[in-house]
Amino acid sequence: MKVYLNLFKLKFMNQLQYRMAAIAGISTQFFFGIVYIMVYLAFYTSNGDTSLPMKWNELICYLWLMQSLFALVNPWVKDNELLSMIKDGNIAYELCRPINFYKKWYATMYGNRLAATLLRFLPIIIIAVILPEPYKLLPPNSITSFILFLISLTISSLLITAISMLYHSITMFTLDEKGIMSLLMVFIEIFSGGVIPLVFFPNFLKIIAYILPFRYIIDLPFRVYSGNIPISTAIPNIGISIIWLIIIIFIGYKLSIRACNKAIVQGG
Amino acid sequence: MTIYIESMKMYLKSLLEYKKSFIMSFISQFFVFFTYYFMIIALFDKFDNIKGYTKYEVLLCFSIIQFGYSLIEIFGRGIDQFDKLIIRGEFDRLLLRPKNILLQVLCTDFDLIKIPRILQSIIILIISLVKLQTNLDIYKITTLVLMLLSSAILFLSIFILMASYCFITVQGLEVRNLFTDGGKHMAQYPISIFNKTFIFIFTFIIPYAFVNYYPLLYIIGKTTNKLYIISPLITFLYLIPALLSFKWGIKKYTSVGS
Amino acid sequence: MSFINVNHINKTFKVAKRRSGLKAALKSFFKREYQYIEAVKDISFQIEKGEIVGYIGPNGAGKSTTIKILSGILVPDSGTCTINGMTPWKDRKKYVSNIGVVFGQRSQLWWDIPAEDTFDLLKDIYNLNDEEYLKTKNNLIKMLDIEEVIKIPVRQLSLGQRMRCEIAASLIHNPSILFLDEPTIGLDAISKKVVRDFIKKINKELKTTVILTTHDMSDIEALAKRIILIGKGRILYDGTLKNLKEKYGNTRHILVNTNNTIKNITKKGIIKQEKVDSGYLFEIDTNIISISSFLKYLSDIVSIEDVDIDTENIDNIIIKLYKDFEI
Repeated sequence: MKVYLNLFKLKFMNQLQYRMAAIAGISTQFFFGIVYIMVYLAFYTSNGDTSLPMKWNELICYLWLMQSLFALVNPWVKDNELLSMIKDGNIAYELCRPINFYKKWYATMYGNRLAATLLRFLPIIIIAVILPEPYKLLPPNSITSFILFLISLTISSLLITAISMLYHSITMFTLDEKGIMSLLMVFIEIFSGGVIPLVFFPNFLKIIAYILPFRYIIDLPFRVYSGNIPISTAIPNIGISIIWLIIIIFIGYKLSIRACNKAIVQGG
Repeated sequence: MTIYIESMKMYLKSLLEYKKSFIMSFISQFFVFFTYYFMIIALFDKFDNIKGYTKYEVLLCFSIIQFGYSLIEIFGRGIDQFDKLIIRGEFDRLLLRPKNILLQVLCTDFDLIKIPRILQSIIILIISLVKLQTNLDIYKITTLVLMLLSSAILFLSIFILMASYCFITVQGLEVRNLFTDGGKHMAQYPISIFNKTFIFIFTFIIPYAFVNYYPLLYIIGKTTNKLYIISPLITFLYLIPALLSFKWGIKKYTSVGS
Repeated sequence: MSFINVNHINKTFKVAKRRSGLKAALKSFFKREYQYIEAVKDISFQIEKGEIVGYIGPNGAGKSTTIKILSGILVPDSGTCTINGMTPWKDRKKYVSNIGVVFGQRSQLWWDIPAEDTFDLLKDIYNLNDEEYLKTKNNLIKMLDIEEVIKIPVRQLSLGQRMRCEIAASLIHNPSILFLDEPTIGLDAISKKVVRDFIKKINKELKTTVILTTHDMSDIEALAKRIILIGKGRILYDGTLKNLKEKYGNTRHILVNTNNTIKNITKKGIIKQEKVDSGYLFEIDTNIISISSFLKYLSDIVSIEDVDIDTENIDNIIIKLYKDFEI
């Protein structure tokens, strides 16, 4: 366990070096937040809010959480170090190490995500809270919602990392990260609620989205926070997300073992 | 210009070395681009207008901006990826050659797999024009051409400005997303839906409004003032500070080193 | 006026300090400290047309900085430099047609396509006419023996083959000066020889002036009559290799195999004596005691089974020089 903690610490320190990247990330995320809010605001104010799936105060929370925690839930994260190792075959050396391949890279990627998030989310939250209405980020619906939000966000971050591991493992078979990975990421981005909240989807798409595991990355935590998903629905959903997490880690783990065997047979 | 075309031929040759990957990327690009207008289409499923603009008016706006952006991503990738030239030290090599530096930078890379984006932009543009029942006379066609051109010119200028920034530091270059991606996201809607400060910034500081707002008003018949036809020309002036700053950057690079 | 004149060149860089540890990393996240590094200090030298000069020094000594200044990539803080009547960093386009630069660790060839295509592109970049281009190209192909090699995608070439193409690419416009920055790094013995022979040949036949930096002293021995040694940004030695050897190549190591025990010998000229597994290792100063008189002296005391004398190694000289100058 200590190895993984150290790996994690290393990644965190690595992120600290990139001060400008953090500042740039914060301003970009903030800007995107404002743009999205203005677009939605324009939609909301030019149409009477009849039968809208989300109230404004729920939507604003969703949008700000999305921007402030973007680094945590973003599906478009690639580990370039791992990818270049896969491509040039140096991955074979990685497999010689006395440390489990899956665990090591899971810890590394999780470390990267968490470090990037910890450096970025607070300034965005602070600015979002002090903004005037209707741009202002509102407090969570209730203490229970907030606790459930934190739980489901934790699962979300573990889930997206497990999914990342999955498609990095797939890359070990295809050796081409651009095509397949982009397709998968587009799919995940849409069906996690990263493009627009799932409630705005046309009905048939919404049904598909609710079956897939990706909604537990963005849709569930951010809607639980504002109470758009009530506590009674949130709890069973968190249960389902844990099951998905276990399944995806299991598949990724098995896949990584097979990929490793393949890499060894090929000799890199 | 010969070296630009020759470089592109070489790029094509190297692409063909990886046919499978090229085809996969080509297909996936089609879907990546889909996420860009998915939001507009999905939201217009729930709402019928945004500050008085209809779905196809917004999509028209969107297609103009995406066209210019994709065009520069494809043919100006060298300048977009300029930070990599600096980091890998390959920029030194360009200084050792007797040709214009900016031209050489443009020759370093292309991104033809993004062609599906251009195609989709054009298709969306055409669909929007048809759905809006625009009556295309010579004035409106001129306006459209100028819009498409100015969209490309504006993004080229921004890319050059961002490349100039790399001469100071390659850190925090993510801020470039603010001006390119962020600007692009915003400018795919008619600019008047935003708040006043934004409108000011994106009219006078980065002139997106002249790419697809003022001329758009003419196309969709919200104004008949002929001055709006040539309003995109203002963005052409934006190239001047961009080129100057790049020149300044080279000077700085050779005095400070990497 | 020499072909290359470098006078009192100085260059200082500002770099951010990096420290290890979480606390230091956090600290520098908020406040960054800088330090100034004098990359080159008051460098002056002259080089005549047709010379081959070895520019040597440890890592970070200022070799690359000098090469960059000479090739016009970097402008010095002060000092002057004229090469073939031009200042490198002024009138860039005109100047660079005169020079060819090979960076041993960076490639200028397009990775996925044959080198020949890169040559064709360079033809357009340098505005060469068909006739002179073909002449130079064919000549280079013959001299470097890359007839077949240039038709294969660069990524499939061995390092040695690639380096030969790299050199050809740098010379396709027939420059009068060639800068080589570690041209033999990582090459096998045969490729090294091909590269060295080629450099000698173009220097002889085309009177190309060659400035090369390297860490491989056998490059210097094979190519350069003259060396310039740089350390901590200053020139420490500028002269012939022969002189350097005479001045610093005076210590030799001799390994003596014997069944007898040798007690500590106190004799003038013996710098060090050491018991090792296979016998005794002596370090002697040949200015004071010659090898033959040392051996004669030793064979008088003990019966020598075998001796092993190190060759006069330039590496040892350089190590000694670095030590003397504390670089």
